[in-house]
Amino acid sequence: MKELLYKAQEMIRESGCADSRLMLFHNIENNICFMNGKVDKQQRSDSFSLAVTLYIDGREGFFYTNVFDDSSLRSFLRQSVMITRMLAPDPARGLIDPASYYKGDGPDLHNYDPAFEALTIDNHTAFSLIDAASKIDGRNVVSVDTRYTDRLHRAHYLCSNGFEATEHSTRCTLSTMVSVKGEGDARPMDGWGQTRLFLNDLTGDMAREIGETAYARTIRKIGQRPVKPGFYTMVVESPVAGHLLMPLFSAMAGQALQQHSSFLEGKLGKKIGSELLDMVDNPHIPGTRGATYFDYDGAATKPMKLFDRGVLSTYFIDTPMGRKLGMEPTTQGIHHTIMTPSSSSLEDILKLHDECILITDFNGGNCNPVTGHFSYGVEGFHYRNGICVQPISGMNITGNMLDIWNHLVQVSNDADPYEADLIPSLVFEGVSFK
Amino acid sequence: MNQDNRYTEFYAERDEMQSLELSDGIVSQASHTLQQGVGKREIEDESTRYSYTMDERMPDFFLEGHPHLCDARQSVHGGGVDTDFSFLLGGEDGKSSCLHMLEAVAYSLDPRVVKVKAVVLHSCKDVSILTSESDEAVHDHRLRTALMLNVVLEQDGRHEMGFASEQLQMGAEFVTDERIRRIAERAVAQADHLFRAVTPKGGDLPVVMAAGASGILLHEAIGHAFEADFNRKNMSIFSDKMGQSVCRPNISIVDDGTLSLSSGSFACDDEGIKSQCTYLVRDGRLESYLHDRISARHYGVKPTGNGRRQSFRHVPVPRMTNTYMLAGDATKDDIISSVKHGIYAESFTNGQVQIGAGDFTFFLKTGFLIEDGHLTQPIRDVNIIGNGPSALADISMVGNDLEMALAAGFCGKAGQQIPVGQGIPTVLVDKLTVGGV
Repeated sequence: MKELLYKAQEMIRESGCADSRLMLFHNIENNICFMNGKVDKQQRSDSFSLAVTLYIDGREGFFYTNVFDDSSLRSFLRQSVMITRMLAPDPARGLIDPASYYKGDGPDLHNYDPAFEALTIDNHTAFSLIDAASKIDGRNVVSVDTRYTDRLHRAHYLCSNGFEATEHSTRCTLSTMVSVKGEGDARPMDGWGQTRLFLNDLTGDMAREIGETAYARTIRKIGQRPVKPGFYTMVVESPVAGHLLMPLFSAMAGQALQQHSSFLEGKLGKKIGSELLDMVDNPHIPGTRGATYFDYDGAATKPMKLFDRGVLSTYFIDTPMGRKLGMEPTTQGIHHTIMTPSSSSLEDILKLHDECILITDFNGGNCNPVTGHFSYGVEGFHYRNGICVQPISGMNITGNMLDIWNHLVQVSNDADPYEADLIPSLVFEGVSFK
Repeated sequence: MNQDNRYTEFYAERDEMQSLELSDGIVSQASHTLQQGVGKREIEDESTRYSYTMDERMPDFFLEGHPHLCDARQSVHGGGVDTDFSFLLGGEDGKSSCLHMLEAVAYSLDPRVVKVKAVVLHSCKDVSILTSESDEAVHDHRLRTALMLNVVLEQDGRHEMGFASEQLQMGAEFVTDERIRRIAERAVAQADHLFRAVTPKGGDLPVVMAAGASGILLHEAIGHAFEADFNRKNMSIFSDKMGQSVCRPNISIVDDGTLSLSSGSFACDDEGIKSQCTYLVRDGRLESYLHDRISARHYGVKPTGNGRRQSFRHVPVPRMTNTYMLAGDATKDDIISSVKHGIYAESFTNGQVQIGAGDFTFFLKTGFLIEDGHLTQPIRDVNIIGNGPSALADISMVGNDLEMALAAGFCGKAGQQIPVGQGIPTVLVDKLTVGGV
């Protein structure tokens, strides 16, 4: 398929555009869904798409197509060049300095399983796993929805000023959602799942555990209701703890800073949280999700401190934003983040507090990107002295991002090493629940 | 479905979209997308097999096992209409583009405006559907144009952001001076509101939902729970409620895919079923779920034209089109003056629902406190939670001012984003949980 990239680049040159960046994506996916033990849906996808960025005298256009016959592609690219010419020039736009490109000298990242190449729906080995994850032996079960998805992603990059690279990765996910008969008409629902980069790393024992965990997480939700409004110690369970970091990452983006729509504007190098807010982004760890040696623009990635004991260590500045803001480019965004853990388990932490609320999911809400004010719907469990006394739903937490991270008082040791972001359970003091 | 419970369908699509973005005073970014493909869906009983090819000519291997459809393949095509996007850029100097006009109006409205970002988007999707139940394909041509505006205002070193958008199924005629002014006024007014607004005291409160944008209440509180796939799988909190009284008898709620120009409208859905107006609730009673072909067969009813998909890469599932409540008798003033202490909810940013538990949320961007029957303190940035059946039963007053929201609305479900419309008259919900200090 690389030939298609060279051909497209030549067509772009013939249309009068010398500077271009092309990405050709090839994705193969298999999706198999069981509903109550029977096959509900099987889907096989094998698709190609071409993303083109054109630069003409400070003008920048983005183009995307999956139509590759010569005539159509030539016409599409000619039109793309014409559209780009009609834009106003912006001196910040352009290909990045070739010195910033990844040079191709990194060791294998071990995130590609060739076994996926030959898999189709008809010869797939996952059916036994799905069957195992679907077997729920429990009371009150209304439905069991089990899904298996695998994805092989391959991308070829070609930039007119010298960058050319190929990367590929694989992953597969097995998950089960269970709904049970609850109080009144309610049908509480919850689930569990696991993602791996290599197919053989999903095992039958793991599949059975996924089903059992999904059921256990659901059945404990029967009888959810709000607790008395007030200020509580909030423990956010690891799988959803990243939800509270997303507003920080959005506010660190160069575009938000340039548009004066970031509550972290002017905070670089300053303390924005407690000393436990300590995190790196490391895209170079073999065998992890998000591992990559370069960003979409070809710029080489590097391990980077995001928060250093509560101090904001970097913004996410790509080359155009660096030119606009007069700042050195850093990175386009996060890849594989790791928050420094403690040695305490979640169970230990829950026992430490006379009273706390364990948050297991967020239900809607938002954070104002300019001010950092947030209001999120939450559900979870009310704990006293390490014992769950009440499942909770129908409540909101309200506050400000610049305040709540200063009230981070504990972190756990339970981040899932197979996730893209390794965030352990987090404990915040004095959170307003309504 | 035929007598052996087998059904085959081909869905061909050609989707072309262009957008332009103005930032820092210049239109310096453009995008253009062209995609096409054909999806093949085979259903046996309620089990689905799906695959697709990006070759719209449908090669022989794709038709394997369906010789009766080979002759009909020529009638399936993904359009191929050359879309005219030239109106997006305006005149040759580019200065007369709708984006520059939006920017100029925004700056003229308030001297505190320091940043303007505007986007115009125009798309054209042609679809053709051929099924094993007919020898002829059905076709639909779907236009969509949207304008979006972000403004940042600065006052005493503090910044606030306002956003407004409109979207309709129109071409170049969508861009008018009146529309541009209205979008700019709404965006600037929202940012201005936020300078004066406070986070209210939270708790369980009566909430007056403003006409138009508050259609999000219907979408999240009941719309998703009425989508028949959730009910077929017994997962919805409304699964056992068909025919039952679910709210006051003066309330009727419809899903209408036939509304002229509205974002969620179409001539036929993505299974080839003609668009329809379906009563979800008529005079307080649950009358119908929203069906695709699979759920309609399961329930023994006709499909309601709600089988929708994001693209040829996806299977259709039951989705809303344009969902709204019919007008009642009360005036807006009657409704507000009936509330001793509560919230007037005016604009929103997002919402979601937990189908099984029925708990829904939407995020209030701007609104007002209601004190002794009057709008008083501007408020901002709170999440509102309710439970679908309870909230529906708690709607105690319905206004006579039905309004469809014009904002660009998209709905996500099963990993698929589709355009939808929504509307509502001013209504009073006696109790919702308001997040606050």
